[in-house]
Amino acid sequence: MLAAGGGLALAGSGLLTGCGRDGSSADDGDRFRAAFTAGGSQETLDPHVAPNFVDQARAKALYDTLGTYADDMSVRKRLADSWESDPSGTRWRIRLREAQFHDGKPVTAQDVLYSYRRAADPDTGSPSQELLSAIDFSASRADGRRSLILVLKAPNFEFPTVFAGPGTEIIPDGTRDFREPVGSGPFTYVSFTPGGTARYRRWADHWDGAPHIAELEIVPANEESARLNALLSGQVHYAADMAGSSVERLKKDGSARLLTAKRATAQQLLLRTGREPFDDPRLVRALQLGLDREELVRVALAGHGQVGDDLFGKGLRGYPDDLAPRRRDVEKARKLVKEAGADGLEITVETSSVDAAWEPAADLMRRQLREVGLKLTAHTRASSTYFSEIKTKGVAAFNTTSTLPVSDFLQQRLRSGTARNQTQFGSKKFDALLERARTTRDEQDRLAMLTRAQKIARDDSGLLVWAFSDANDAIGPAVHGLRAAPPNSHAWARFDRVRLG
Amino acid sequence: MRGYVLRRCSLAALQCLAVLVAVFAVGTLLPGDTADVLRGELGTPEQIQALRVRLGLDEPAWARFWHWLGHLLTGDLGTSSTTGLPVSEDLGHRTGVTLLLGVPALLLVVLVAPVLGTVSGLREGSRLDRALNTAALLLHAVPEFVLGLLLVATVSLAAGVLPATAVGMDTDALLAQPSVLVLPVAVLAARHLCDLARQIRAGVAAQRHSTVATHLRLLGVRERTVVLRHVLPGALGPAAQQFARCVEGLLGGAVLVEAVFGFRGLGSGFVEAVQNRDLPQVQAYALLFAGTAVAVNVAGDLAAHRLAPRREVTA
Repeated sequence: MLAAGGGLALAGSGLLTGCGRDGSSADDGDRFRAAFTAGGSQETLDPHVAPNFVDQARAKALYDTLGTYADDMSVRKRLADSWESDPSGTRWRIRLREAQFHDGKPVTAQDVLYSYRRAADPDTGSPSQELLSAIDFSASRADGRRSLILVLKAPNFEFPTVFAGPGTEIIPDGTRDFREPVGSGPFTYVSFTPGGTARYRRWADHWDGAPHIAELEIVPANEESARLNALLSGQVHYAADMAGSSVERLKKDGSARLLTAKRATAQQLLLRTGREPFDDPRLVRALQLGLDREELVRVALAGHGQVGDDLFGKGLRGYPDDLAPRRRDVEKARKLVKEAGADGLEITVETSSVDAAWEPAADLMRRQLREVGLKLTAHTRASSTYFSEIKTKGVAAFNTTSTLPVSDFLQQRLRSGTARNQTQFGSKKFDALLERARTTRDEQDRLAMLTRAQKIARDDSGLLVWAFSDANDAIGPAVHGLRAAPPNSHAWARFDRVRLG
Repeated sequence: MRGYVLRRCSLAALQCLAVLVAVFAVGTLLPGDTADVLRGELGTPEQIQALRVRLGLDEPAWARFWHWLGHLLTGDLGTSSTTGLPVSEDLGHRTGVTLLLGVPALLLVVLVAPVLGTVSGLREGSRLDRALNTAALLLHAVPEFVLGLLLVATVSLAAGVLPATAVGMDTDALLAQPSVLVLPVAVLAARHLCDLARQIRAGVAAQRHSTVATHLRLLGVRERTVVLRHVLPGALGPAAQQFARCVEGLLGGAVLVEAVFGFRGLGSGFVEAVQNRDLPQVQAYALLFAGTAVAVNVAGDLAAHRLAPRREVTA
């Protein structure tokens, strides 16, 4: 019954916008509205505090970064015209293109230094804080108006990934107040209420060309059905983050289109290898072999994804292509459980409603692992504090990560002793390989070392990537110029390239 | 009467305070705090702790509650730990939105329910009565969430008659395009309309057959007079209390209706505040909700007291 309504949505949309500003057809071509989930944000336009998709979409409108991620998470130039390192990989010279802030002032090396210093400050809360803190700010300096030298505390030839990281946006030197924010992005600020609508206007002088639309509105709609209905009735042009039944409904709908980014989200099971029982590698292995990944994708992800092989980043730059897929082997897994003396052992896995796939996945896993002699039970936690809680609690937990560069993921999540290494994986060999990769100049050699490191992590880290799920955004029939792209990448939510009509 | 009013009102004030204490206690028992929510997956334990200190969340819970209460006495609802803005600002915007939904819904209930209830009650057992009763039961059985989605799918998306959601609209935009309000108001009112109509119907039916009514009829009083002077006042007394419960129910219903239709009103604001573990906001919402509920109940009780006068019992 619900799906039947979709087909005629277009017929109604003319009536729906019958009065108010939305009504006149001249305006319609000029004002683009995008609906996002907005809960759990700090709700400021400070681009360096940008944990959620809505924050990133807002930051993209107002600000620019030095670089940006292609779909495979390799780095492309943006505000930076060029970058190069000295032979040691510690001194990086960056040249900036000619660009202006919205107040007419040029973007200078000082602005970059100020922005990076601010984002590297742990008190700011930037998602890229850890990567930026590799910079030695006392030794780094501006070298002319549009040229700067960043000196690193240790050599790193993968450093440019930071130029495109979330929370590294360039703001004018000295900015502290974000109530009337000034950036160098494609849109200028009009208005914003925390938790409410953010309005922007096209900026004609943007270095990359002016946006095609005159106005952009990013509106909050936390309920997925509200986003979907707003899109189907023509009240918004873009609805972020569609899942499950909404995807099915959109597929049946004739007018709206889905932008599906394949493999955008890595579905993980984190096994804490520093604690009982997963300090026994045989049990980690037993879980790797005991899961039926095809069934998990078919049922828990309703087919919207691909199986994972216990490694992050399928399809991204630096992911080893020559992996033998993980095959289920119940006999071998059962044998390992027996050897570990863990037959009938009860394991609690932390889950929540953060991701709709987790609870069905936990159910399936319980059945699958019973066949290898393990009893899995699920412990459901509150969604808004889930990620914070699993850092310290439990022995096994569900987790998801959207796309980011493979080398960053390895550095942040799997290196021993880092704050976000939740499986407590600690391998000297792995760390040494990562370190050598960072200090190796030749890109092919570097990627080869990363590959070797990943193969170690795949077997021993306790981080099981059981699937990759698709990410879906939806657009209305009048929207052109947007394509499917993984969240965090350049092409995702690229509203300055949108055309209506 | 005055004694009753006084006792009822001081009880009301105590009820409000009790709600505040309970809400704060439950709020602190929820897992995690605002710092956990805001930094979530990304923050290191040190970053989360730094934010906690900055937001004053490292103070003991009772101290924070005490501060909050102290500020409240000066009329200050405190500062949201999510947005850093005064809570009253957010509450003000959202109250406007919820009033736009709640007031028409309430009017609908209060105007239509007595008519349906009386008509139905006076023709007890007739075809019309049975039809109305069945319709009321059916409507009552459909959860508000489902009713909302059904109406959007049929009336908005399929027929294209009314707007589907209020996504991205503030009070000004809503006032400029009131058609947005039609479906949510209908959903919000439906259940309470049914409740109240059925209650009035039962009251009217009972009063109509009461010995007093029969006696009046035997005395030759005209049926019209019997209904207006006796049957209706007798039925409306209990209905006043039911109506008070409607107002509370509307606030509860607002949580669902606002979610389905994408309104940024008090209902969705309260849900967000709880999810964000934003206790100053949660407390302000609780105060507003409890205050409203208590106030309308007091009013309902007083009205019922007035409509069904008894002799005051002195203790």
